[in-house]
Amino acid sequence: MTAPASQDPRLQAVHVARFHAGLAAGLVIALGLSWAWLRGTASAGYEGRARKEAVGALTGLAGEVEQAGGEGDGVRAALQAWQAGQPAGTVGRVVVLSGARLEASTDPKDAGDRAAPRRLAHDEKPVFDRAQRMRGIVIENRDQEEKKPELEVVLEDGRFSMAAPVRKGGEVIGAVEVVRPAAPPPAAPGVPAALLALALPVVVFLPLRRAGRIVAGLAALALFAAGVAGFGAYAQRLVGGAADAIQALSAAGVLGLGVLLFVALGGAARFRSALVRNRVAYAYTLPAMVGMLVLVFFPFFYGILISFTGQTIYNTSAPLTEIWNGLHNYASILGDFSIVHRAEDGSLALSYGNFYWTLIFTVVWTVTNVAIGVSVGLVLALVLNTKGLALRPIYRVLLILPWAMPNYITALIWRGMFHRQFGVVNYARMLFGAEPISWFDQPFTSFLTALATNGWLSFPFMMVVSLGALQSIPADLYEAARVDGASRWQQFTSITLPSLKPALVPAVILSVVWTFNMFNIIYLVTAGEPGGATEILITQAYKYAFQQYRYGYAAAYSTVIFIILLVYGVFQNRVTRATEGI
Amino acid sequence: MRKHQVLALVLAVLSPLEALAADIVVWHAYRGGEKAAFEKVVAAYNAKPGNPNKVTTLAVPYDAFADKITAAVPRGKGPDVFIYAQDRLGGWIEAGNTVEPIDFYLDDAIRGRYVPATFEAMTYRGSVWGLPLNYKCIALITNKKLVKDPPKTTAELEALAKKLTARDAGKFGLAYSYGDYYYHAALQNGFGGRVFDQGKPVMDNPENVKAAQYLQAWIKAGFMPAEPSSALITSLFNEGKAAMVFSGNWFLGEIASGIDYAVSPLPVISEAGGKPMRPWITVEGVYVAAPSKAKDAAFDFVKYVTDVEAAKVMALEGRQSPANAKVYADPKVAADPILSAYKKQVDVAVPMPNLPEMTMVWSPATTALGAIIRGGDPKVALAKAQEKVAADVANLRKGK
Amino acid sequence: MAGRGREEGFPHWLLHTFLVLMVLVTVYPLLWVLTIAFSGGQSLALAGLPAQPSKLDLLRAVTPWPERVSADNFTAVFRDQPFARWLLNSVAISAATTVLGVFLACTAAYAFSRFRFPGRRSGMMSFLVSQMFPGTLMLIPLYIIIVQWLGLGSSRIGLVLVYSTTAIPFCVWMLKGYFDTIPRELEEAAVIEGAGPARIFWTVVLPLAKPAIAITALFSFMTAWNEFILAATFMDKEEMYTAPVGLRFFVGGFSQQWGYFAAGSIVVSIPVVFLFLYLQKYLVSGLTAGSVKG
Repeated sequence: MTAPASQDPRLQAVHVARFHAGLAAGLVIALGLSWAWLRGTASAGYEGRARKEAVGALTGLAGEVEQAGGEGDGVRAALQAWQAGQPAGTVGRVVVLSGARLEASTDPKDAGDRAAPRRLAHDEKPVFDRAQRMRGIVIENRDQEEKKPELEVVLEDGRFSMAAPVRKGGEVIGAVEVVRPAAPPPAAPGVPAALLALALPVVVFLPLRRAGRIVAGLAALALFAAGVAGFGAYAQRLVGGAADAIQALSAAGVLGLGVLLFVALGGAARFRSALVRNRVAYAYTLPAMVGMLVLVFFPFFYGILISFTGQTIYNTSAPLTEIWNGLHNYASILGDFSIVHRAEDGSLALSYGNFYWTLIFTVVWTVTNVAIGVSVGLVLALVLNTKGLALRPIYRVLLILPWAMPNYITALIWRGMFHRQFGVVNYARMLFGAEPISWFDQPFTSFLTALATNGWLSFPFMMVVSLGALQSIPADLYEAARVDGASRWQQFTSITLPSLKPALVPAVILSVVWTFNMFNIIYLVTAGEPGGATEILITQAYKYAFQQYRYGYAAAYSTVIFIILLVYGVFQNRVTRATEGI
Repeated sequence: MRKHQVLALVLAVLSPLEALAADIVVWHAYRGGEKAAFEKVVAAYNAKPGNPNKVTTLAVPYDAFADKITAAVPRGKGPDVFIYAQDRLGGWIEAGNTVEPIDFYLDDAIRGRYVPATFEAMTYRGSVWGLPLNYKCIALITNKKLVKDPPKTTAELEALAKKLTARDAGKFGLAYSYGDYYYHAALQNGFGGRVFDQGKPVMDNPENVKAAQYLQAWIKAGFMPAEPSSALITSLFNEGKAAMVFSGNWFLGEIASGIDYAVSPLPVISEAGGKPMRPWITVEGVYVAAPSKAKDAAFDFVKYVTDVEAAKVMALEGRQSPANAKVYADPKVAADPILSAYKKQVDVAVPMPNLPEMTMVWSPATTALGAIIRGGDPKVALAKAQEKVAADVANLRKGK
Repeated sequence: MAGRGREEGFPHWLLHTFLVLMVLVTVYPLLWVLTIAFSGGQSLALAGLPAQPSKLDLLRAVTPWPERVSADNFTAVFRDQPFARWLLNSVAISAATTVLGVFLACTAAYAFSRFRFPGRRSGMMSFLVSQMFPGTLMLIPLYIIIVQWLGLGSSRIGLVLVYSTTAIPFCVWMLKGYFDTIPRELEEAAVIEGAGPARIFWTVVLPLAKPAIAITALFSFMTAWNEFILAATFMDKEEMYTAPVGLRFFVGGFSQQWGYFAAGSIVVSIPVVFLFLYLQKYLVSGLTAGSVKG
């Protein structure tokens, strides 16, 4: 007779073992993250102080060189004087741009026939380029409100390599370049402390393994807290109370706690058993999922990350933390409600660049296109499914041709057909006695041109899908219905439509998603005319990225598009699932 | 001479060459006649005595070229040299690790051998980033049968155009893409207008407004077709229904064989006191890629391909307008009427701005031009464009 | 079998009229492509009209027929560049995409349809969701992953991987829907007879899902066949270019040669037509044989 589950000693032992494992895993994660943060902050602080000192030396030299006139013997003297006050291994150079001259140098290699002043040697191009960059920064700062710091500091090989411009008479004539050794920061601090904070609670828990579940559980939590808090206090003391210490350490602690709970409450065990139980299914689906994860999700997560920054072409190399602006991009996209504005003549006019107007337009565009594509495709499939209809293969081939031809040329042909003076659509209008229209001058007619083009391009696909779906309906269903006296329309609504659903619904959902993001057609046929009225969300995002070079903003725009489609997808799935009754 | 002196001399001569010997990859977007001419130049370079480098080329479709460079070069997977127009130059420089500054290699001899405006197009924030290979700008193309003497001033142009126009018969005196800001820039710059002033957009400055009003006067005079797309202009000219066209050398390849045409510089603007029309120059430059491992060799090729010998081949066989000024002294080149005409034009033309912000100008400018063509108030239209461009530039520069 | 009577109710001549009308609308722009291709010229064919066009002039202008018929454009397409080679590259890449895409989609869809496992619903949703990411901005991240990290630049495998990943979501959804309609009793019967899972899949499930396989094969092929920007960016050797890349040489930049482009487009469309002709019979094979429910 086995004891009830909550009292079974073997089960108890398993649970307590899980608590132990959870404690260990949680501590590893929390302490690992905390230690990584500690190391980063310590070395950053150290590096910051060293950098300040080095930059001080640099600007001091630049000032003295400028005072000495920027070129000539005075500069060489100033450089020697400065060098005297610098640590061993420091090298200073003064470069003059015109003539690519090395005006002065304290590099021991620049002696004898390589002594300054001389022309820079062939392999010293980076030195010259650096001086050019300094001049470029100064010129750029003249045009901008936000000035960049007029120096360059790089830490490599344990040395600070720096440059600053030298001015004479208001113009940049050269630069000073300094290479200054930097003592390496202390090696990994706090490792013994971290290991202690990890080992001690785990060891202390050992005797508690015989205890009951509740006691063991509480003990595990307490020991975890003790280990994390202990190391946290130590780390904070080490970095001298840096501001974000509490935040970073608590974040690490919370993550570790999460891992602890996951393992302790059996999550890991359940995960492993589910994996084993369904290994066939996972094996079947894994290749497809991995491909998608790497090639689709991963780039997009990076895009979402960028959307929280103000990244533009001017600051692509800046670390993301520096240009972080949180939800600012989203706020400026979603918070812009100026759909209408006052035009010159006092009337209300639509602001075509506004997000909400573009959203409305994109929704209208999607709904009309999918409606046309689906209905035309379905009707054609039904007609082509008629038993005994002659020449069906020929019709089918001719009707998929719009899909077969590259849409770059067909889209442009359609655009040409709507040309005001020489387009065949207007010729046809004249043939029937109507006046030619300037199709791209009004938003509505411009929209019609894109609608016609995309409708023409998209119905073959829906036709093929419908054709295939119609094949899955057994013919005897119709026989039985006819015997029962059902009319053709009743057969259609009660047999055909429901049977088509499993195949059509995914095609429709995907068609909605593809049409929503249909960049090509809008770009090629209307190009947004007139004046941006026929832009859809994706073309706007493209413009922000490649015309305005505002990558963060464009990424936020794309993420908003994605969220809209996601909401639609989830909603649509719920609805169809409800009616399917699965 | 002593033996070790001879040895030293030999080594001194050889070592820079050894340092140069490399395999260089060049990317371009040429095809057809231009590609054949370019490959001839490359073959000549490879066969040059004393040249240890070997150049291989790759043709990339124009539509994909800029994206390919942006994706491949900063990541080290691109070519050593690439050829492209200057309009993307600013963007690539700001993106970093794409284009290599070449001031270090230049001396006055090299700087002096190019048409000054084309060299300016290769300069950004004080540094030189490539050598100009060829230029394109618009000039006046006339149908010799309809126009015996190309007009020298806009007053003559207007009179002649009015005479040759018969709207009902679909005949026009002058046809050019006046709705395209690139073409309109010729008028605008002639009046003294500009797009950027020291990096700040000035779309609505008074000279731009005057140029826009002048364009409206031309449209009102009725000697230009409505909705002037490039396809329309081409078909009108080929049917002999357009007497004069403003266009560049890209247009010449599309002219039908039956039409006898002449190229001459754009007329001077009588209204602006005889100042010449200054079209924008699109300069194709040859750049050294920043991550290239053979920069010296790459620059050696860049220097060669923009030099007189290569320029002659590209001009006579590739039908390009070389940026090398010295090649125009060559008798064959000087005798070519088209090359001379465009050279005369480029001497008064201005380079198109190569700032990254230039890409934000086109869309609002086209919208403004559209409003102006339809008869709207130029001041208002340009002010609107200025507002948009200034806002976009500010948003970009803010960066946070 | 009860008497036939009137089958569908719509007389065939009515259906034929409707179909012919649809075919005319569908084929009309393509006739213009043909016109440009066979005209021997390079312009995008904007016909001029006399000042007061008569009905006949208008009719002539609306009819797509070249002034001068010549096959020069076609010969030039193949003569001036290695277009045949590029076509072969396209065929290889698209065929590989089709095989890989359909295979992976079949196995995944089968699992989603037949097995119940944690993550099934979210897996299906994630395929759908992956289509919602705007792809136009993904060029550089994809380049970094494929060319920089995986080192697959200038190789056909790189493109095949990306194209398959793009095509799989639709294929999975389509196939899963199809598999759902195949009654399990058939598989259970096969299991009783001692067949293994692979055999069941090949001999019982697949034949009944032929229309879905045909659709997904066509779709995967088309995803790969006409794609331009990724092929142009990933390939660094001229002999590795694909047909869309080769086509774009004709119309980029300042010189647009629409005659060559139209001729090339027609050549590029022919394999697709052949593929469709081949797949047609699977598309309409029907499930009437042996799929009676209950």
